[in-house]
Amino acid sequence: MEFTLLWAALTAAALGWLGTRLWPAGLPDRPADRLLGAGAIGLLVGRIVAMIAQGTSPLLHPGDILVVRGGVHTAGATVGALVAYLWSVRGEIRYLDAITPAALLALAGWHGGCLWRSACLGVASDLPWAVAGPASVVSRHPVELYAALALAAAAWAVARLSLRPMLRSGLGLAAAGMARLLTEPLRLSLTGGPTGWYITAIAFGLVAALAGPRVIAPRARAVT
Amino acid sequence: MRRLLPIALVVAFFSSCGGPGPDTSGVPDLPEMTVAEFEAKLAALDRPAVVNVWASWCIPCRSEAPLLNAAFEAHGGEIEFIGVDVEDNQPDAKAFLAEFGLGFEHVFDRNRSIPNRFAGFGTPITFFFAAGGELMSTHNGIIDERGLALGIDELLRIDP
Repeated sequence: MEFTLLWAALTAAALGWLGTRLWPAGLPDRPADRLLGAGAIGLLVGRIVAMIAQGTSPLLHPGDILVVRGGVHTAGATVGALVAYLWSVRGEIRYLDAITPAALLALAGWHGGCLWRSACLGVASDLPWAVAGPASVVSRHPVELYAALALAAAAWAVARLSLRPMLRSGLGLAAAGMARLLTEPLRLSLTGGPTGWYITAIAFGLVAALAGPRVIAPRARAVT
Repeated sequence: MRRLLPIALVVAFFSSCGGPGPDTSGVPDLPEMTVAEFEAKLAALDRPAVVNVWASWCIPCRSEAPLLNAAFEAHGGEIEFIGVDVEDNQPDAKAFLAEFGLGFEHVFDRNRSIPNRFAGFGTPITFFFAAGGELMSTHNGIIDERGLALGIDELLRIDP
């Protein structure tokens, strides 16, 4: 992993840790460790899925797995992190609800880490807050900062919800998908971006929030 | 035994992603090019150019290759894409091209004199040139989709 990505990862880790301090209700022991561990596993799973999608075997080219900048599959990373976190708390959904605001804040940190990577800019714009990159005269939307602000706002809002099983986690997933979907048109892209996955995340998150307690996790307990 | 079964299935799945080496019979030798020839080629272009420096032994180049293909497919009509294979040998270079199906022009630069001329370091490197061969920006190291799209968008705004 190159150093600028490492700084972005450290920003995400710092904000994730802060999130566990700001919203400690219902968290398991060592919540930041579990969150960061799940994030790291999600990153590796997302990278492996991206390699397979590109037609590269992770077994034949294991060194590629560490080339995170080569691409990380959004859905693979999300599922990998969710499964890893749930495994670490022995499948207790209530701990997933409790960590959701901190996870959203960590995600905001990952996007805000674009500042260290010089990778905040999207499509050209004449708006007053648009900025030009180094050696460029073209002003552009700081789109990754928009996403970071949206995710931080989602973290704050989700933390105000009750701890009814899957309400926070479902709406948090939907909010993360929505933050990415709404900012995607402002990003520069060669492949169109994974908008299908964002829509899937929104739909799944809303279903989980509305019907989760009955359909997905009927025996889940709310934090008391 | 039951515990080993999922592991065996995962290994079999990942292994199936690989396969025998690519068929290089349809890939011609990469033409060798000097710095002077390369600069003359860029100067003669009437459209901007993205020049990617790669090598078959370069691990990050493997990750970049599908992205460059996507960029070529999206912008090949308005931007020249040129690959510069450095510190390599012809059989490995041809195998790399056959594996990734990189459809744009490539030149062979055994002594990496071309990236050295433009002060690039490491492998991979991506140079962005305006029409006529003026170097606009350099990205040392692996470039991601957003970075490549940004570099291309900047070129298109200089040379509409």
